[in-house]
Amino acid sequence: MDHNAPAETKAAPAILPTDIVTPADMTRLIRELTTLDDFLRQASVRKGGTPVKVPATSRNLEAAVKSFGANLLQPEDRAQLLKKLDHLRLTAPQIHISFAADPSAAFTDKIVTWLRQNIHPELLVQVGLQPSIAAGCIVRTTNRQFDFSLRRHFADNRPLLAQKIKDMAA
Amino acid sequence: MTTGVVLTAAAILMAVGVGGVSWVLFFSHRSHHPATPGKPNNKEVKDHHKGQPTQADNLQASAESDVEHIFNDEFREELRNRGRLHFEKIIGENAMFLQQDLRLTTSQLNEYMKAEITRKLQEEFNKYEQSIMDAKQLAIDSIEKTNAAVDEQRKLLGTQLQEQINQEKARTLERFEANMADIVNHYVLAAIGNQIDLSDQLEYILNDLETNKQAIIADLTNGS
Repeated sequence: MDHNAPAETKAAPAILPTDIVTPADMTRLIRELTTLDDFLRQASVRKGGTPVKVPATSRNLEAAVKSFGANLLQPEDRAQLLKKLDHLRLTAPQIHISFAADPSAAFTDKIVTWLRQNIHPELLVQVGLQPSIAAGCIVRTTNRQFDFSLRRHFADNRPLLAQKIKDMAA
Repeated sequence: MTTGVVLTAAAILMAVGVGGVSWVLFFSHRSHHPATPGKPNNKEVKDHHKGQPTQADNLQASAESDVEHIFNDEFREELRNRGRLHFEKIIGENAMFLQQDLRLTTSQLNEYMKAEITRKLQEEFNKYEQSIMDAKQLAIDSIEKTNAAVDEQRKLLGTQLQEQINQEKARTLERFEANMADIVNHYVLAAIGNQIDLSDQLEYILNDLETNKQAIIADLTNGS
């Protein structure tokens, strides 16, 4: 199976960088961009030659800027990026995935990449922890829940398990 | 019974004693009151009444005189002594007979009493034995009834216990089957939960996501 195959349903929106995973990441990105915009707007009205210290930008912001091809020094680009990010925060689809253990960043990247390539390019993912599922994951969308856990597989194959136990007991 | 026998023996002894004493008194009376020699018989009275002493009267008088002469006091004393000796001999013989009778009676009485006592004891023993046998039979019957009741109760309890065991087994099996998935999952989680790496599950998770991709897209697209 090719996990990197692009989604066939939608092709228009740009793919969010994998560093921006959760709605919280998006909120933090918007707040950072707003702060930076305020700073640059204030700096533009200062007198020339006044020393200023430009705040450091996060990796998420740099990735977003690179992904959307914006120039942070241009107020229009900043405004457009801010507007787009705010729009995404409000309209981007969200899913919740629970794992048995806390996933690593690399694992989360792979999952998010696959989801944005196959499900929706602007998808935001909330990662949860549910140790009782043993293995696999549980995906919860807006209206549905998809149980891909080992527990669910055991429950689906309960007759087979019972038959095996009876065969062993016989 | 024994008292009656003793009374009978005493009566016999008393009768024998009374008889002996009567006999002694009789002879003693005869010795003290001999027949009057001068008492005339009927014929002499007739003759006497005629008022004329006859030869017979004379003879009678001389006989009486001779009698008085022959049967004087010494002779009488001799006779009395003889009679006494004879009486003592008779008394001795009778005493011997009486002693023999008494011994025989005593022996018979002993035999009788022994037989009676033995018979009575045997009867009592038989009654006692019969009572013991009855009590024993009663106890055996009671024990048998108790055993039967206990057996019945044991069978009933066994049946009820078996039914409850079967019900509990069925309940346990049903619960186990109902929660089998959770039990196995819990076991797997406890046994190898810490050793399952998420990276190893990536292929499995992506396969599930790929399988349900259209459903997820549809829900995300059509959801509010």
